[in-house]
Amino acid sequence: MVAIFEIYRPSSLDDAVEFLHKHAPDARPLAGGTELLILIRDKKIKPPKYLVDLSPLRKDLSYVKLENGLVKIGALTTVWELSESFLHRDPRYAGFKDVWHKFGTMHLRFVATIGGNIATATDFSDYIVLLLAYGANVKLRSVDGERVVPLEELIADRRQLAARPDELVVEVAFPEPPPRSSSSFEKFDRRQILIAGIANGCSYLHLDEGGKIADVRISFDMVKGKRIPGRVKPVEDFLRGKVFTEELVTRAAEEVLPSVMEKYTDWWTTAEYRLEMSKVTLKRTLLIAKKRIEGGAL
Amino acid sequence: MSGLYKVKLKVNGVSYELEVPAWERLIDTLRYRLGFVSVKEGCGRGECGNCVVLVNGAPRPSCLALTATLDGAEVVTLEGIAPPGKLHAVQVAMLKSGGVQCGFCTPGVIIMAKALLDRNPDPQVDEIKEWLAGVLCRCGSYYHYIKAVKLAAEYIKKGFVYFSEEEVKKKLHLRVVG
Repeated sequence: MVAIFEIYRPSSLDDAVEFLHKHAPDARPLAGGTELLILIRDKKIKPPKYLVDLSPLRKDLSYVKLENGLVKIGALTTVWELSESFLHRDPRYAGFKDVWHKFGTMHLRFVATIGGNIATATDFSDYIVLLLAYGANVKLRSVDGERVVPLEELIADRRQLAARPDELVVEVAFPEPPPRSSSSFEKFDRRQILIAGIANGCSYLHLDEGGKIADVRISFDMVKGKRIPGRVKPVEDFLRGKVFTEELVTRAAEEVLPSVMEKYTDWWTTAEYRLEMSKVTLKRTLLIAKKRIEGGAL
Repeated sequence: MSGLYKVKLKVNGVSYELEVPAWERLIDTLRYRLGFVSVKEGCGRGECGNCVVLVNGAPRPSCLALTATLDGAEVVTLEGIAPPGKLHAVQVAMLKSGGVQCGFCTPGVIIMAKALLDRNPDPQVDEIKEWLAGVLCRCGSYYHYIKAVKLAAEYIKKGFVYFSEEEVKKKLHLRVVG
């Protein structure tokens, strides 16, 4: 790897944001490095002057906890650490296990962090699609203090955050899902892992005692108007309050979804195929989520 | 900031004090600076799994780790998974089940298998597949690898973690070198 940069190892979180403030945009935070180092290696970006190595902050920013009705995940929590947490044992968070099985390779799961996944903001990010369905908010920290932004608003475009370069992603949080809720994530492609996915989608579903859809949030890797992960709110509105039936789900996929989804043809596959697979994803994730709610198991 | 970074690194039980440039990757340090040539560069972007080493016990692609960020870390490569002159159960199981063909990906596979067995001493086939899927093998020895991990788990369960030269000779008619 031939690139000229310097590494700064901060002594504390305050030290890190101060250094970023002084040197941004010439300084970039380095978490797991599974994206940034490849971009530098492949000469996709100009090597930043400074890399701020976040590994000294791991003891402060690596956690999964339930606090005041919120599930909070520290930005430096690795995908492996997520799998060790309660998120992989409670059916209300079943989507986390689905993403885990499709995420990179095992050794990358020990390195890649949840904050890095968000800050990278790739257009096919599995964890962004999943966290959108959970209605997650992201906490950013800079020398001016902290602010909380909905994940939806933070992802501005492909690899672009609606944040200043001196702001650091420190936490992602979402409301604790109520009982009788669950989620499901699907990714279709030629391979099981190490792939962007022809269609990625996630459904979060909350059914009331009568089988009515009390709440639903659905996200995809692409939606109308942008080529980045987003929610399909008209589909959610169509489903909310109605009694869950297979026919209703089919109607949502066939009648409502195409109007809010614009897919693209590229070297990988065609827009038509992507849309068809997105319909399948929608139907399948909703049905699996319902099954998980009723079965009460993963 | 100077151009060189002081790093204390423990590799296979031996402590090293190094001065490395910022862009030196762990694979460069291990392979070219310290001579642990079991660490091989395949893709150089964390996809093929051939450069995986254990960093503080966790498998990590060494092509995606900057040595300067690893001050104080403990690294184990294939050379260090068993004491000198001995073989680890996974290594013996690989030989026994014919898992080794050209040998290029073997170090990565053995490191991943050891990391898996460290965490789960009795893994199911699905789990073995998930762990080893990240190490690409162009010979296509995957089937034998799954058998090897199962066999290694049995060895370890019986208390045979390391095999001496004598035992390897008797079992496999092979000589332990290095």
